[in-house]
Amino acid sequence: MTKRQGRLFFIICTFLTAAAFIGMTIHSHSRFAELTNEDKLTPAVISGKDIWHKNNCINCHTLLGEGGYYAPDLTKITQQRGTPYLTAFLKDPSQFYSEEKHRRLMPNPNLGDTEISDVIAFLDWVSHIDNQGWPPRPIIVSGTTIPGTDVGQPATQASVSSDPVAQGEALFRSSPPACNACHSVVPGTNLAGPTLAGLVTRATAIIASPEYKGEAKTPAEYIRESITHPSAYLVPGAMYSANNQSFMPDNFITDLEPGQIDSLVAYLETLK
Amino acid sequence: MRYRSQSVAYWYFAVAMCLFGLQLVFGLLSASKYLGPDPLLDFLPFDKTKAIHTNLLIVWVLTGFMGATYYVVPEESRGEIYSIKLAYAQLVAWTLMGVTAIVGYMFGWTAGNKMLEQPFPLKIVIVVVMLMFLFNILMTIKRAGRWTVTEGVLVAGLVLAAVLYLPALIEYDNYTVSIFYRWWTIHLWVEGVWEMIQGGLLAYLLIRLSGADREVMEKWLYVIVGLVFLAGILGTAHHYYWVGVPYYWLPIGGLFSALEPLALLGMAMYAYFAMRRSGLSHPNSLAVHWTIGSAVFTVFGAGLLGFAHTWPSVNKWTHGTLVTAMHGHGAFYGAYAMIVMAIISYTLPSLTENRKVEGNNIGYWAFWMQVMGMFGMTLSFGTAGIGQVYLERILGLGYLDTQLKLQVHFLMLIATASVFAIGAAFFIWDFFRNAPKSISDSRISEFGPVIDSNNGGLLYQKR
Ligand code: HEC
Ligand code: HEC
Ligand code: HEM
Ligand code: HEM
Ligand SMILES: [Fe+2]
Repeated sequence: MTKRQGRLFFIICTFLTAAAFIGMTIHSHSRFAELTNEDKLTPAVISGKDIWHKNNCINCHTLLGEGGYYAPDLTKITQQRGTPYLTAFLKDPSQFYSEEKHRRLMPNPNLGDTEISDVIAFLDWVSHIDNQGWPPRPIIVSGTTIPGTDVGQPATQASVSSDPVAQGEALFRSSPPACNACHSVVPGTNLAGPTLAGLVTRATAIIASPEYKGEAKTPAEYIRESITHPSAYLVPGAMYSANNQSFMPDNFITDLEPGQIDSLVAYLETLK
Repeated sequence: MRYRSQSVAYWYFAVAMCLFGLQLVFGLLSASKYLGPDPLLDFLPFDKTKAIHTNLLIVWVLTGFMGATYYVVPEESRGEIYSIKLAYAQLVAWTLMGVTAIVGYMFGWTAGNKMLEQPFPLKIVIVVVMLMFLFNILMTIKRAGRWTVTEGVLVAGLVLAAVLYLPALIEYDNYTVSIFYRWWTIHLWVEGVWEMIQGGLLAYLLIRLSGADREVMEKWLYVIVGLVFLAGILGTAHHYYWVGVPYYWLPIGGLFSALEPLALLGMAMYAYFAMRRSGLSHPNSLAVHWTIGSAVFTVFGAGLLGFAHTWPSVNKWTHGTLVTAMHGHGAFYGAYAMIVMAIISYTLPSLTENRKVEGNNIGYWAFWMQVMGMFGMTLSFGTAGIGQVYLERILGLGYLDTQLKLQVHFLMLIATASVFAIGAAFFIWDFFRNAPKSISDSRISEFGPVIDSNNGGLLYQKR
């Protein structure tokens, strides 16, 4: 090979691949609107994006898997946590997590109310981007799904917000033992216990069915009963119960205040 | 040093070394926050230390590239730099920009886009400084009326690096589009045009250190750069898998990025064969260490560790974990930090007073402690990352609980990073130990490049 041929190789490689790359880029632009739901790109979402950048969230968190590795990925966070919870969290993260326990904590971003709702709108828009189904399995902020181990010990007692739904969601992660150690709120993801997504719909059907022998008349009562008397009705599944005894702990009736159970029920009722 | 104006390179290297030291301070600060709790949480939290760490890296490596270019171009084109004043003015503006950016980040002045955090006014300053630089270099070549392929590749890499920074100036409302073009800068830099720069510097060093035939070296340089672009341009797609683009980017990205290590392997073989021809007879064996080290560590950090997670079905699980940090460190260090230190080691005997060409013990300690330390750091990040993928991504353990399980890896990271930092401190100390030769000093070095090269004609040119 001569130097001239070497140069020719370089020129051909570069131009061919660059042309293909630009061609696909142009084609991708014709698809972005649909893949990213550009019609839902409201002013609130755009302002939320600016807040996301201005506060440098990207250098702790990953979003769509890109950013810092110091804090959890937030791609699907709004599908795991409701707006009331996220609002209360962003007002003061230290009320929800303890630096002593997890050795790291999100500093208070000091955002105003509209800023908070905008950044949540932005994260919600991101969570609906059609990104080939990534992550392949939900990435959870805290909690264990490995029963029988000491990981994911109860966090500190949470609660600042007066909103029962936010309180309930915080309790869901922290009540001893943490509910999310066994339950996900993602449709189809069953851990040690069944997913609690769509609970209200399911509860209505269960109450109406002849198998049901409990005392609940409404979905809310059913949820309360599931927490206070787990064995009153057993969700079918060999890994959920044995000898008519649920594997879900029955200490909640004594270890939780009645008000806390109220907030848990309020929160679980919101899971669609 | 055969041209007086080459001595501006010293001041670029000096700035680069200061920023390198500072980069490591912020790296260690970031790593210590993994262990927590963080006493600086409200004042200098992780996001700030990380942004400063990565920005300092990019700035010092670019400073090193510019210094290297000011050294290489006069020699290759056989003429003094067009304007020494402009070269110094450019360095001052560049340094001020860098310092302003860092202080700005501390006080929350940021554009908050990963690795492109520079606020808009500073981005403009960067563009202006790049234009000053390129003008000065191109005018030097024009005035000399002569250029070689080696410097051509080097300068073309720098021109393209400046061009590819331009997409970073534009803001997009759609986050997916903004990610799409962020990679035109970041990926096409590190896996495209910066590799051209590395290739050009490698060719320059190898020709001088080994006496290899220029015609042969430059022929293969073309082939290597051709391979870099063949794989690297479409390889950009390995960052597009999960961000909201059409499906076809997945197989394209997997296939082409998997070819990228070929070019890197080519570079290592290039270095190996060049050195084998002449043996390790060159007196500046420290520079030989850094040059070969860079070629080999690039194959490890970029080629091997990049390849490990570039296929979509693997990347699906490792995306955005500490596995990426493992690769980022190994790759950036081998390809860019080491090539800058190679050129510094090679030029230092001619840029400073009373320095032995052979180098000294401190120089070798600096080399080996850095290489060992960085190897240990990639191991620590790598094992932490694999643990994270398994516990968090596969078993579904909570993110925070997983990180608690990785504490021992973080301790290992800090231990190996300390070895690395000591090696770096040796290098920096060794750099500043001897005073620079002043620019008015017209003596031509008795050591340094003049006796180094033996490739016909070029060498014995009289000024
Ligand atoms: C200094 C690092 C840091 C920065 C900057 C940061 N976060 Fe966080 N964030 C964390 C950590 C750590 C957690 C995990 C919970 C905890 O320990 O507080 C977290 C958790 C979260 C959660 C999940 C809470 C939950 O329980 O589900 C959301 C949502 C969030 N952050 C949003 C943001 C937004 C929006 C920004 C930018 C305005 C931001 N974060 C900036 C570190 C950070
Ligand atoms: C150790 C694991 C475990 C923990 C902790 C746990 N659960 Fe359960 N939970 C289960 C299992 C297993 C079932 C299914 C068997 C049954 O019906 O009793 C269940 C069932 C339920 C149901 C009924 C679901 C349905 O589809 O009908 C609700 C509601 C519920 N749990 C709520 C909670 C709440 C709220 C907490 C926290 C206060 C909690 N669980 C903690 C294991 C757990
Ligand atoms: C004392 C030595 C060093 C320590 C302790 C250190 C530590 C760190 C830490 C903790 C991060 C943040 C990762 C995260 O987001 O969680 C980081 C990021 C990074 N560091 Fe270092 N670092 C060191 C030296 C270096 C060197 C020498 C280089 C390159 C030559 C480098 C290149 C990078 C890069 C490119 C990133 C960004 C990675 C990414 O976001 O994917 N670091 N470093
Ligand atoms: C010198 C060359 C290289 C350098 C300096 C480098 C550096 C980096 C850095 C800093 C990142 C993190 C970027 C970010 O998230 O912002 C990254 C990501 C990545 N690199 Fe490289 N890289 C190089 C070569 C390669 C090669 C040759 C391959 C493949 C064979 C590769 C594969 C990847 C992949 C797949 C990711 C994405 C990781 C993820 O999904 O989180 N890299 N690289
Ligand atoms: Fe890349």
